[in-house]
Amino acid sequence: MKAANQRVSEKYMPGHHLPEPDYDRPIFEIPEGLRNSILDKLIFLYGEEDAGACFDELERIMKVYHAHKCPEMIEWEKQFHPADRFTEKDVVLITYGDMIQGEGQLPLEILADFSEKYLKGAINTLHILPFFPYSSDRGFSVVDFEEVDPSLGTWEDIENLKPNSKLMFDGVFNHISSKSRWFQEFLDGNPLFQEFFIVFSTKVAISEEHLSLIVRPRTSDLLSRFSTLNGRRLVWTTFSTDQIDLNFKSHNVFLKMVEILLTYVRRGSDIVRLDAVTYLWSELGTRCVHLEQTHVVIKLFRGILDAVAPNVGLITETNVPHEENMQYFGNGTDEAQMIYNFALPPLVLHTFQTGSSAHLTKWAASLPEISDTASYFNILDSHDGIGVMGAKGILADDEIEMMALRVLEHGGFISYKDNGDGSVSPYELNITWYSALNREDSHETTGFKIKRFLATRSIALVMMGVPGIYLHGLFGSKNDADAVLDDGQTRSINRRTIDRDSLYRTLNDGETTPCRVLRRFAEMIEKRIREKAFHPNATQRVLDLSDSVFALTRTSVDGKESILCITNVTAEKLKLDLEKELPGLKGGVYLDILSGRSIGYSGATLSLELQPYDVIWLRCGENS
Amino acid sequence: MEFNTREESGGKVVVIDAPNRLDVGVADAFKVRINELVDQGNCRVVIDLEHTEFMDSSGLGSLVSRIAVTRSKQGDVRLVAPSPFVANLLEITHLNQVFKFFDDTESAVKSFE
Repeated sequence: MKAANQRVSEKYMPGHHLPEPDYDRPIFEIPEGLRNSILDKLIFLYGEEDAGACFDELERIMKVYHAHKCPEMIEWEKQFHPADRFTEKDVVLITYGDMIQGEGQLPLEILADFSEKYLKGAINTLHILPFFPYSSDRGFSVVDFEEVDPSLGTWEDIENLKPNSKLMFDGVFNHISSKSRWFQEFLDGNPLFQEFFIVFSTKVAISEEHLSLIVRPRTSDLLSRFSTLNGRRLVWTTFSTDQIDLNFKSHNVFLKMVEILLTYVRRGSDIVRLDAVTYLWSELGTRCVHLEQTHVVIKLFRGILDAVAPNVGLITETNVPHEENMQYFGNGTDEAQMIYNFALPPLVLHTFQTGSSAHLTKWAASLPEISDTASYFNILDSHDGIGVMGAKGILADDEIEMMALRVLEHGGFISYKDNGDGSVSPYELNITWYSALNREDSHETTGFKIKRFLATRSIALVMMGVPGIYLHGLFGSKNDADAVLDDGQTRSINRRTIDRDSLYRTLNDGETTPCRVLRRFAEMIEKRIREKAFHPNATQRVLDLSDSVFALTRTSVDGKESILCITNVTAEKLKLDLEKELPGLKGGVYLDILSGRSIGYSGATLSLELQPYDVIWLRCGENS
Repeated sequence: MEFNTREESGGKVVVIDAPNRLDVGVADAFKVRINELVDQGNCRVVIDLEHTEFMDSSGLGSLVSRIAVTRSKQGDVRLVAPSPFVANLLEITHLNQVFKFFDDTESAVKSFE
């Protein structure tokens, strides 16, 4: 074991673990305060009777995990401060593990190669969407939580991404594939797995009244019929017949998921994304979303990680109205360190469709700072398209409807949710971000379209939080509508698999749109990550200068540096006269860090002329 | 390429016949024609799909190319008699939730009254 330790120590990096547990060193002990906190939560979830045994097993799992930590990591953690978990240098690329494919290399090897060639110096975190064996939903119907899909690569390939990147893994803990061993064991009548799922003998076990209460993200049936050794059964399936909800009312399911969570940490995950966590706990007679028990499970995950892997953060994926989404921060220190800022994409899209930032500005001004250890994950696009639920209550229903219709005009599609009363409403817009902004048949120049695209991206880069960019957004991919018809899934419009060689050729040819987008986008990111004022928790003040611009100032945590960010959200030239009383502005000359231009006051006024979709980042404060 | 168009309801509704194959070869021209009609102020449009046996993604795109514009002017684009093949495409792409469907042009035109 000593020799193994030495080998590891030579190439140590935060997050690296021993291949086998070391039980010769002191065994981990749960601190007294945490012990009581965990026990209280387990009693709330599972009752006095089961909580004790559950705690004992949980403690064992934590001890086993801790024994896998290398000594350097334990030392490193002593210096770690949770407020440093995310910094201005954190920019996340969201991608499937096999989105880029080519001869002679496994997809995860290609991802490492691509990352080295094109992302270095700009993007430091890779969110590899579920890379486990799966049976449907592009990876979100996991067959085995603890294996890497062999067609993508191996755990070693995942770990090999570590030297250049932090890693974000998916914890698809709400459900499991119908083809998984766990579900097969259930079908086979294995008593150990009977409690793993939510099962009914007959449909009438759920009253119409209860059924109508349940919030549904899909129009499919909530209960799916399966034949088991013990007869026909109806099983709870929130998302599809192939995605079987796990029953967290069973403490054995909870313990299994903790074990898997810590396996991911051991395999190098710096951030764990809790997929579809909204639906984690179901209780008849309720809406079956956001239940207190769900929040308690997340708090338990957080407490466990804080104790044994404090550098690892949780992000919750809850595509729901903004106010409900915010609940997943808990008190700011006891649940997710990041939540997806789901209102941002539809609000930015609406802003650029209408040429008015009014809704975006008002909403952004209302965003609270959460704590020094929690912040927002600012995406504009993802593998799922543009969710509109986050904008509910911020945009009126008819504004959402019109935004969705404009997406159709741009070659996209709309996914609907069942409202439970026979009606449906838009849930998500399926379109690439570039196509959402730019009509294929318009007479605008490519340069103009790219400028509009980058203007939108600048907003996600400057806002309080950590920015996330979907791979197809990185180089402005257009819609893949044929794929939608080929596989019958509207989400496929934004999930094109790319050939490595043609991608590299395209990205190396300065005349192509993807190359032009990537180069300018990367330049913008490189400038962003040098500025302390863009730390996720740097103070944000949104300015209501005009509906034609989106403007805010960010001030570094130490208060020494400020940046005024202004984006022209229209296709028109604008003139803005800024007075000295704006935050950070004191007169004199300022530097636009994007263009390198100096801009100075004339008397008491700073006059800015903005071309269509211009973006300026004006450095104010001490270092200007 | 020519597409048969006619005004109904005293010019308040315009009907356009879609071709037999609404695919990449003709979809652009069909879209241009719809755009012209809408740009001329026709915001109540009926597309007759009775003779359309085949459609691809370009064809689908032409059907919705002015859907927001027409609805923002209290108009609409309405579809007549899609074949089972076309109806299946509309269902896959959820466009069946967007459009109103009619068995014949007469009832589609009347629906605007």
